[in-house]
Amino acid sequence: MLDVERIRADFPALSRTVHGHPLVFLDSAASSQKPLPVLEAMERLYREYYANVHRGIYAFSEEATLAYESARDRVASFINAPVREGVIFTRNTTEAINLVAYTWGRANIRSGDRILLTEMEHHSNLIPWQLLAQEKEAQLLYLPITDDGLLRMDRLDSLLDERVKLVAVTMMSNVLGTINPVREIVGKAHEVGAVVLVDAAQAVPHMPVDVQDLDCDFLAFSGHKMCGPTGIGVLYGKEVLLERMPPFLGGGNMIHRVEWESATWNRLPWKFEAGTPAFVEGVGLGAAVDYLTGIGMEAIAAHERELTAYALERLSALPGLRVIGPPAHQRGGVLAFTFRGIHPHDVAHLLDREGIAVRAGHHCAQPLHRRLGLTATVRASFYLYNTTEEVDRLVQALEQLGNTLGQ
Amino acid sequence: MSTLYSETILDHYIHPRNWGRLSSPDIVADSDDPSCGDQVHLEIALSPDGRVAQVAFEGEGCMISMASASLFTERLQGMRVEELEALTEEDVLGWMDVPIPPNRRRCALSPLVALRAGLAAYRRGGEPKAPAQKG
Repeated sequence: MLDVERIRADFPALSRTVHGHPLVFLDSAASSQKPLPVLEAMERLYREYYANVHRGIYAFSEEATLAYESARDRVASFINAPVREGVIFTRNTTEAINLVAYTWGRANIRSGDRILLTEMEHHSNLIPWQLLAQEKEAQLLYLPITDDGLLRMDRLDSLLDERVKLVAVTMMSNVLGTINPVREIVGKAHEVGAVVLVDAAQAVPHMPVDVQDLDCDFLAFSGHKMCGPTGIGVLYGKEVLLERMPPFLGGGNMIHRVEWESATWNRLPWKFEAGTPAFVEGVGLGAAVDYLTGIGMEAIAAHERELTAYALERLSALPGLRVIGPPAHQRGGVLAFTFRGIHPHDVAHLLDREGIAVRAGHHCAQPLHRRLGLTATVRASFYLYNTTEEVDRLVQALEQLGNTLGQ
Repeated sequence: MSTLYSETILDHYIHPRNWGRLSSPDIVADSDDPSCGDQVHLEIALSPDGRVAQVAFEGEGCMISMASASLFTERLQGMRVEELEALTEEDVLGWMDVPIPPNRRRCALSPLVALRAGLAAYRRGGEPKAPAQKG
């Protein structure tokens, strides 16, 4: 059991009132709030030892470099990466996926090759592959979903053959909440020689993730969804693949020797980190990893499971409310729903007037919404700091809204 | 329950004015926002002296976009094409009786987006048709 009251005290923003009501923040799937240790770690760096990292032959630069590179070690251990060289800092999940599409993808995907995605991918795990497929005349395939929002695993074998060079799949859907059997998908993909990229933007913040256990080739996630700052994300990659990939952005730090006409590249992980990195944010992410580890990812996942089951039960009892996605035991803390034909933007707007922050729209998954016959949904999402009382506030506000506007 | 959803907006949303289609519109306008699904279809018939004689709309979307489109059909009555073309975002937002916050302005303005597209097509199609040609 989490001591949620104590956790909430770590997040200054959660004590605010909005439109005269105590804030109920139910949009952590978009971006989480930040605890004091993260804010303090970044402020300390700015105040006490700020200097550009790498190659500075003086105390501040050495301290900043040490803090930044130690954050990398902690991120590596957080996802159980075998070596720190496999942890590339990027701007966010989107940039991490684009890095793979632009480097590995352009070096390895050829005309006629196939890329297998799923119908529940976020635009960030869809558009980079569309661009690559268009450029290389490769073909995109989609593993379909059931109407309940589960992957049709029975269709996987028929889609996978040696023409498939890459499988890109989300570990947890940001709309359906579905937690996918990634290890099984990786196993089957490897049997036909395909490389697997896992979009773990919704997974790493909310559950234990072990890249060696998954055996995935690439895994991408963002700092800002896991109590860290914006502007810092992670691409994990197997060292053997990263070594063979051409660089992504060119510039300072990613080089070894530079001549007028050519250059050689720095070692991993810096080969993929051109220019001054977001090292203050990297240190913030390191502090977020420490914070989450201190609480325990198993405990966080259990808390969210409990909250999700409770919310699913209470929301489903409201007349005219339809939650999208699978039952509680197959999903994480993301609940997207429609309510009595009221446009999701109106629902979100009216909930905001009650101090409740939810997201409304297509949640960067337009094809998925079309597949479900929807244009938009309202999404409530949970994190370690949410409570059952907040779920009750959401349900009460929806009841009130239904009474006022229901058609 | 909300200062945004004023009586006027609720009234126009629940009882949209001039809903439907015209038999022979001079200006036909559509807007389609894939990000939220707001769709507005606007039809305008002009009188022989070139003023808006009839307006009708159909659509699907949030309360603000639908209420705005309904208000639109009332406000455009009697305007000349030049006046339609001169309509600004501020004009349209001013027709709502409460301030529209920045993140919902797009909803309120979707009828204007439709109108502008319709006017451009109308101009490409030539000057207003003479009454005799309207049939």
